[in-house]
Amino acid sequence: MIHLRKKLLFTAVISFASICLFSCKTNSSGNGAADDTKIDTVLTGTVTAELTVAPNVPKPLTYTSPKRVMVTLETIEKVMPISDSTQYTFWTFGGHVPGEFIRVRQGDLVDFTLKNAPESKNSHSIDLHAVIGPGGGAEATSTAPGQSTHFQFRALHPGLYVYHCATGPVPLHIANGMYGLILVEPAAGLPKVDKEYYLMQGDFYTQGKFEAPGLQAFDQDKALAENPDYVLFNGRVRSTTGANALQAKVGETVRLFVGNGGPNLISSFHPIGQIFTKVYIEGGSEVNRDVQTTLIPAGGASIVEMKMQVPEVINLVDHSIFRAFNKGAIAQIKVTGSENPSVFHKGQ
Amino acid sequence: MIIILPWAVEAQGKLVTSQKSVIIPAGSYTPFFITKSDKPLKIASFKMDETAVTNVEFLEFVKANAQWRKSKINRLFADSNYLKNWEGDLDIGAANKNIYNSPVVYVSWFAAKAYSEWKNKQLPTVAQWELAANGRPKNIKYKTLTDYILGWYEKPNPPILPNVKSTYQNEYGLYDMHGLIWEWTFNFNSFIGSTDTRGNTQVDANNFCAGGAVNVKNKADYASFMRYSYRGSLKGNYCIGNLGFRCVQNLTSHD
Repeated sequence: MIHLRKKLLFTAVISFASICLFSCKTNSSGNGAADDTKIDTVLTGTVTAELTVAPNVPKPLTYTSPKRVMVTLETIEKVMPISDSTQYTFWTFGGHVPGEFIRVRQGDLVDFTLKNAPESKNSHSIDLHAVIGPGGGAEATSTAPGQSTHFQFRALHPGLYVYHCATGPVPLHIANGMYGLILVEPAAGLPKVDKEYYLMQGDFYTQGKFEAPGLQAFDQDKALAENPDYVLFNGRVRSTTGANALQAKVGETVRLFVGNGGPNLISSFHPIGQIFTKVYIEGGSEVNRDVQTTLIPAGGASIVEMKMQVPEVINLVDHSIFRAFNKGAIAQIKVTGSENPSVFHKGQ
Repeated sequence: MIIILPWAVEAQGKLVTSQKSVIIPAGSYTPFFITKSDKPLKIASFKMDETAVTNVEFLEFVKANAQWRKSKINRLFADSNYLKNWEGDLDIGAANKNIYNSPVVYVSWFAAKAYSEWKNKQLPTVAQWELAANGRPKNIKYKTLTDYILGWYEKPNPPILPNVKSTYQNEYGLYDMHGLIWEWTFNFNSFIGSTDTRGNTQVDANNFCAGGAVNVKNKADYASFMRYSYRGSLKGNYCIGNLGFRCVQNLTSHD
C-alpha cells in the first residue's frame, strides 16, 4: 500500500514536472522564444537533416511541428592543407573543419548516429552542447574505428550550439579540428534574411612555425602554453578570402552563424567596415543591436547580422589583431552593387 | 589485483609455430585513472611473445579450429568485419602476400582469447601490457617515448599494414609495442567498470570531456590517455583494421 502510494506520488511529481517542462508559460522579460513557446512532444513525421559544409548553411526549416530528425555524422582523420604549402593531420566530423552544420527545430527529437571511419586510428565521440543528457551525448558515443553508436535527444532550447569530440584527451581531439555547429531554430523560426553563412574559428598548434612547409605535427607544448601558430576561420589559411570570399549584394541582409571551437582562445569577432545590426548574444535568444565587436567564447557561438550598405570587402577578424595579421584569422565578405554616397563617399 | 587466467582447458590441434617469447621482469604499474586510495599494482615476472600474432600464424589456428573460420564464426563472438581482409576461410589471399607476416587484425577479443588458449597462453592484462610497452626503445631515435607514440597515433592507418618487427625493439626484446597496431588486452574494458555498464559511475565519467582530467596520474600523458580511450570504446566482438594482439604466459601465481 505504502509502495503504491509512493508510486502514485512519484507519477504525480513527474507529470507535473513534464507539464512545466513542456507547456508552462513564464513571464520572463527577454524576447526569448525558448520560454514563451509551448513545446509539443508529439512527433509529426521523420525527416533527414540537411548537412552542409562551411561556409554553407542548410536551408531554413519549413515545417512547423516537431519531427524525428535523422542525423548521421562520420568522424574522419585525414591530411589536408592548413595553408597553401603546409599540411596537417586533421581529425574531422564529415571530412571537413569545421564539421558539417546541423539545423533542427526546437521540439524536434534528434535521432543521432555517430560513425567512426574504418581507416581511423583513434576512437571518437561527440558532445553536442544542444543536448541535455550525460556528456552531451559523449557517454553514449564512444566509438571505435569502423563502428557506430546511437542516441536520441530532444532539442529543448533554441540557439546556436557547438559540438565537439569528447574522447580523451579531449584537448587534442579539439585541437585537431573536431568541432562544428548545430542550430536549434526557435519553433517560430528565425526572421528571413537574404544570405546565411557558416564560419568557425579554431586555434592550431604545429611543430613548425606559421606556414612552415610540409606536413606539420601537433605540438603539445605550444598547446599547453596556449600559444598557437594558427588562428583560423574554417580550418585553413585563406579559407574564406579572395576567390573564396563570402558573397553579398548591396541592400542584402547577411546572417553569419559563427562558432569558436577553441581549444584555447576566445574570439573578439569584428567586421572591418561594418557594424552588426543584430547579435544573438552567445548564440542564445537575447538580441543586442548595433555592435562593433562581440566576444565568442571557446566552445561557444554567436549569430550576427549585417545590412550590406555599400560595395566593399568586409574583413571579418578576431580583433586580438596579431591573430588576424600573423596567424590567419581573417575571412571576407565581398559586397557588390552600386555605390551609395549617402552612406559612404570617398573624397578627392 | 592481477587477474590470473586459468591455463587452457582445451588445447586443440598442434602448435605449428612456436613464437619466440621474452621474459618481462617483475615490476609495478600505476593505473592511468587513479584515486587517492589506489596503489601501484605489483606485477610478477611473465613471458610475452616478442611480436604480435601474424596472419600466417592465425591461419594455422583457424585451420585447426573450424568454428573460428570466417564463414563459421558466431556473430556473438565477432562482428561482420571478422578477418575482413582475408580472401576466404583458409586463404589470406595471393594478393595479400605482403601482409602474411603482418599482425592479424580484424580479430575480436573472443578470437584473440581463443587463439591464446589454443597456444596454452593468455592475453596480457592491461597492467602487463602497459609495463611491457613502457620498455625503452633500443634501435630508434626519439625525444621521448610519448612523442614517438603520439607521432604514430596522429597518422591515419597505412593502406597496407607493415610486417611485424618493422618498428622498434624495446629493452625487453619486444617488437612493435607502439607504432604498428593497437593490441587487445584481457581486461580491456575494466577501467570503465564491468562489461556493459555505461552508467554514471565515477570512473565512467573519466572517459569523456573535462571529467577525464580529474583522476589521471599524468594529465600531459596524452599517449596513455588515447590508449585508454581506445580500449574504453571497444566491445568484445569488435573486429577493427588496426587492432591485433600478442600472447603472454604467466610464470607463477601471485596475489
